[in-house]
Amino acid sequence: MHSVTLYHWEPNANSGKPMLALMEKGVAFHSHYVDMLSFDQHKPDYLAVNPQGTIPTMVHGERVLTESTAIMEYVDDTFGGPKLMPDDARERWRIRWWMKFMDQWLGPSFSMIGWKVFVGPAVRDRDPAELQAAIDRIPLPERRVAWRKAISGEFGAEELQESQRRVALGIRLLEQELARRPWLASDQYSLADINGFNLAYALPLAQPALSNDELTPNIMRWLRAIYARPATRACWALGRTSLVKRVTILEQPHIGAGQVA
Amino acid sequence: MSVTLYHGEPNGPSLTVLAALFAKEVPAELRYIDLAGGERHTLPFAQEPLVAMSIEGEGPVLVADGEPMSDSVFLACYLDDVGPGAALRPADPYDRWETMRWCRQLIERTAPAAACLGCDAHPPQLDQGVLERIASLDLRARWQQITAGQFSEAQLADSRTKIHQAAERTEERLANREWLMGAFSIADLESYAWLAGMVPLVPVAFAAKPRIAAWLERVRAHPAVARALSYARTAEPLASWSIGPEINRWG
Repeated sequence: MHSVTLYHWEPNANSGKPMLALMEKGVAFHSHYVDMLSFDQHKPDYLAVNPQGTIPTMVHGERVLTESTAIMEYVDDTFGGPKLMPDDARERWRIRWWMKFMDQWLGPSFSMIGWKVFVGPAVRDRDPAELQAAIDRIPLPERRVAWRKAISGEFGAEELQESQRRVALGIRLLEQELARRPWLASDQYSLADINGFNLAYALPLAQPALSNDELTPNIMRWLRAIYARPATRACWALGRTSLVKRVTILEQPHIGAGQVA
Repeated sequence: MSVTLYHGEPNGPSLTVLAALFAKEVPAELRYIDLAGGERHTLPFAQEPLVAMSIEGEGPVLVADGEPMSDSVFLACYLDDVGPGAALRPADPYDRWETMRWCRQLIERTAPAAACLGCDAHPPQLDQGVLERIASLDLRARWQQITAGQFSEAQLADSRTKIHQAAERTEERLANREWLMGAFSIADLESYAWLAGMVPLVPVAFAAKPRIAAWLERVRAHPAVARALSYARTAEPLASWSIGPEINRWG
């Protein structure tokens, strides 16, 4: 068996997807923490592994894999352990639909808000020349724009409002979907749940006016059920930042409207 | 299993799904709809969330045993799973990963650029009264932008750059292969579906790229693609465009 190395940041968003998928499958891997807030992902050591400078990257033997959702499918296809995609073709379609919706529509809106309140403030106070040099090293032009905006707090009111609209609509759609089925898009625990948890684990803290046990009981049931899994506990225990420690909100048995400030 | 495919002209996402359906020999009822007129939004299942909120833009809808399904790449994966025809994805997990990653990059970067340039050159005309029926507000906004003819020069230039990059990636990839993933696959279908119509619109991106020219011919001649193209109702399906995915909002 070839060894697996995962280059990842926090168990959050894209990094957390292959981390949790590997842990659910019981695949041992060498964890290589890439400190995004120190711009490790744009330094030569990391660019030698993944020239695009995106996180995460998985190395399996000689194979180098990027794009977190595609990595998860590879992990499920390649390794033993519990299947994280159902046998039914239509359920697989539904799972992929939801993962794309989260990766490309809902996730970027969550992350614009997250970068504004967490990532930007976390790095903003450093030496401006050092920050500029860090931005200049970013290989993908789209990511350069994203970092510049996050650091300078340049997100416009209109784009933040559009992100908030999408977050509110996305929460409604998730709640509807989870009222229909025990898990997201399927009757069994799958990659869609792993993907969704990485997006929504702190939802009642991040969006207290939109998500709590009264407004979104199915989302809350679903988040707690995923958090109760041993793999999720082990995965989130690897988190180092206050961002990820927010997951403990799910230990509260009931979160009512207006309970989280 | 009962399958109905609502499709438009064989270009873009409709071409991918029609050709996948034929390649996989899945029996289906075909229903032609005017995707470029917004007819999808008048269908009885148009408000179902997984149709209404598809971020592909105006793509085909496959109804399998009553469930309306959208998104051309994943519909092709579904057909690949259920049909008896030759596989449309490689068997090896790493090659499968490469296929999915290739398609993801196409969907994210190439498709929005191609739809922008295609709609700019051949603007779709939304039927009367359809705008208010479009449930997704961001899709509605893209329709309003196209109706007002509002693509900026910067957007068009950025889109041409993305077509250049896609053509370069494809040319490079074909250095030692006939098909993008070794055997004919969903990656060939989806790449052809977005790029073939770009040849007349961004000719310089395809100039002096002999491998991509030969590959375009090969894909066009594939029996499943040829059959899909035979469902065209216009003289030039490559000039038929409707609203595509949105251009990345940030990062």
